[in-house]
Amino acid sequence: MAIKIYGSAMATCTQRVLVTAKQLGVPVEVVGVDFAAKEHKSAEYLKKHPFGQIPYLDDDGFILFESRAIARYLSAAHGDGKLVPKGVKENALFEQAISIENNDFDPHASKLVAERIFGPLFRGTVPDETVASQKQTELEAKLDAYEVILGKYKYLGGNELTLADLFHLPYGTKATLQLKPGAPALNLEDPKRPNVARWWEEISSLPAWKEVQAEEQVAVAAIKKA
Amino acid sequence: MVLKLYGPTVATCTQRVLVVARHLGIPLEVINVDLPKGEHLLPEYLEKQPFGQVPLLDDDGFLVFEGRAIARYLSAEYADGKLIPKGAKENAIFEQAAAVESANFDPFARALADERFFKSLFGGAEPDETVASEQQAKLEAKLDAYEVILARYKYLGGNELTLADLFHLPYGAVISTPASPGAPFVNLEDPKRPNVARWWREISCLPAWKAVSTEAKEVLAAMKRA
Repeated sequence: MAIKIYGSAMATCTQRVLVTAKQLGVPVEVVGVDFAAKEHKSAEYLKKHPFGQIPYLDDDGFILFESRAIARYLSAAHGDGKLVPKGVKENALFEQAISIENNDFDPHASKLVAERIFGPLFRGTVPDETVASQKQTELEAKLDAYEVILGKYKYLGGNELTLADLFHLPYGTKATLQLKPGAPALNLEDPKRPNVARWWEEISSLPAWKEVQAEEQVAVAAIKKA
Repeated sequence: MVLKLYGPTVATCTQRVLVVARHLGIPLEVINVDLPKGEHLLPEYLEKQPFGQVPLLDDDGFLVFEGRAIARYLSAEYADGKLIPKGAKENAIFEQAAAVESANFDPFARALADERFFKSLFGGAEPDETVASEQQAKLEAKLDAYEVILARYKYLGGNELTLADLFHLPYGAVISTPASPGAPFVNLEDPKRPNVARWWREISCLPAWKAVSTEAKEVLAAMKRA
């Protein structure tokens, strides 16, 4: 039975799972969820995912939601525990990085992206630059602390690539995107933070992430044609 | 060497570690960090915690920050992995619960606690009930999904008590205690969600939590007297 991921190749949280699956070499089948038709709020969907969110995993009847939990499960059940360090101290630094992504990166990056990218794309709004630039300032202050950690270790959770690094990719990429030439965007390769730049350049160039982005483009093109 | 935890006893994020340590029977020495004086932003603190946040664990020179990561480390290093289920599927349901707390509980509970309780307590400003009740409505919608999960399992991460349950205690306790008689609060024992009520009653009555909240109340009372 193929592992099914219910979600969308264009959604950041689904992409968090997809880049992990590809990096681990675990094949998954994406099953589209129709947001426009509010499929994620239907009684049948809520039975699988009581919060009515995407993505969720169906592994031969085993249902799991929350993208970061799904990524950990793919590593544990199908990827020999890869991308999750095992030693107690190594694992502690990894968990520290997981929490940093969750508390110091995601809240700011997701609000920035909602204002500058998703609003214009999906709701036809004009970005409020006061809100967006405030979020960017908050995020940049956090990135100064990232620079300290990444000056010490190769990756955010130690000297090996872990899930914690990959979890930054969907919102990190969208935060650096410009919908129009010259539009304000976050620069994750700013030379004033050389270690963040080195780290971001490496993880955003991973073949697994390139593939996820290519699949997103295919999905976007299909919607535009329809 | 005794484990040192840097952070004020009255801070929710410190309490998240303290309740886990107590439940696991691990003694910690708590070293206060004077937040109003800005001790967390001094160079010597930032050298250990580049984000300038509390709490921070010092285990004989091994430093870990982020409350949830510290809690996991304490379990792994000093308590044979208690409160963290081991099987791949059992662990997946636990990680799902940990992610639910992080993504579907904490942001709303924290915003609510900041507005309704902490703003007047630490900032001397009046709460804006429009903001607070909006956060409460969002949180209550999430609790409806909690009800579904807790009807299926005894705890949020399966049929055993886990770290994911304990992580709810600090903010859950703040938002469910009215600031003064008749003041608005979140009723986590509302009979319309019988399973949430059963769960909250059980975890909030754990001796470990009673001890942590009693200590916090004493410290807070001493602060008010000073």
